[in-house]
Amino acid sequence: MEQLIEELKREIIEVLNLEDMTPADIDENAPLFGEGLGLDSIDALELIVLMEKNYGIKLQNANEGKEIFKSVRVMAEYIQQHRTK
Amino acid sequence: MSIYIQSASQISMQEPLSEQWMKSPILPTVAFNSPLEPDFKRFILPAESRRMGRLLKRAVAVSLDALQKGGCEMPDAIISGTGLGCVENTEKFLNAVIDNDEECLPPTPFMQSTHNTVSSQIALKLQCHGYNSTYSHRGTSFDSALLDAVMQLQVGRISTALVGGYDEMTPAYFKMLGKLGYWRSDAESDVDSLKKSGINGSVSGGSAVSLLLANSFTENTLCHIDGAEIYSVASLQEMCDFYFEFVQKYLSQNNHVDAVMCGLSGDQENDAVYRRFVQQCCQEADVLWYKHLFGESFCASAYGIYTAACVLKDQKIPPHLFYQSPREVNVVKNILVVNHFQKSDFSLTLLSR
Repeated sequence: MEQLIEELKREIIEVLNLEDMTPADIDENAPLFGEGLGLDSIDALELIVLMEKNYGIKLQNANEGKEIFKSVRVMAEYIQQHRTK
Repeated sequence: MSIYIQSASQISMQEPLSEQWMKSPILPTVAFNSPLEPDFKRFILPAESRRMGRLLKRAVAVSLDALQKGGCEMPDAIISGTGLGCVENTEKFLNAVIDNDEECLPPTPFMQSTHNTVSSQIALKLQCHGYNSTYSHRGTSFDSALLDAVMQLQVGRISTALVGGYDEMTPAYFKMLGKLGYWRSDAESDVDSLKKSGINGSVSGGSAVSLLLANSFTENTLCHIDGAEIYSVASLQEMCDFYFEFVQKYLSQNNHVDAVMCGLSGDQENDAVYRRFVQQCCQEADVLWYKHLFGESFCASAYGIYTAACVLKDQKIPPHLFYQSPREVNVVKNILVVNHFQKSDFSLTLLSR
């Protein structure tokens, strides 16, 4: 799990172009939206694309995103359970 | 209604956000010339910056710099010209379409690949709710944006306008245009070679130029815009006919054009049009050029206006701007900026001090 969290942090930094950030700067338990990283709706789209492209997970229900994107750790747990690649 | 260029700013292969090129220009030595960039953190917050491609960052920086130099916080209009828009993002998006088999497409490059992204991003940054438009008319994109601003200022619809020309050259696009013979070899990209006739191709450059236009004169004003027009011409004769109509309309009696700022680029076909035009229409004027300092791009004509405005403000023509030997009397009261794109789209802008 810890390895997946690190991998996910690197991918989030790359896909969201979080300049000047390193994986160590991201608290895996902090909220991704609002507080914490302060991401917005376009970032949510980018994360949905990331999950589909890198892990083969297609989110069928947009409301699921609210739960899945609570934090990097919650996202990693969801990926571990549902990944197809 | 008098219209003035209050301030201007540029990013190019020259020192960015500076007029240092007037004293110590950086001359091209290769065909692909990357712009020198300022520290964007001066203008853009990191959170804003992460979704901006290079062209957007450059456009926002020159816009804010021009507004600051002109002492204007909020322009009435934001009008941009761009040949290709944010082509770096277009490439990213199209490559993703191929790489991901038309699935899992990233939204950010898609949103930023539209041509109006630049004008809208500047408006978002300034929170400007005024007139906002983008012209994408190949080599006269900037000229069209300028003409729009001039006409709206003339009728009093606006009193200030931020007018810009923005284009970027990516390595992939440079390579594609190279196959069509747009560029010179690196060995023939120096200024002396650019003046040699009989060679096709020029040197590339990106465009990021912002001008603040206003209807009032201040001590910082660069120059007055006497007239600006765009024509579609079919022949040199038509071009000359338009020129004589233009000067009759905008040049006061007993006055003449002191200097002609031409888009001479080193490409023999392109340059032949300017040579014939000068020979037939304004032999008495000094012939100036600017593309050897800023490179060729769809919005390169923005540098022509910018260069002429800086010269008029300074009242001195730097030696490196003369394409031919200068006249004995080097007085510059007005400059005619001439631009053509592939011999058909033709623009004239008369500036004076």
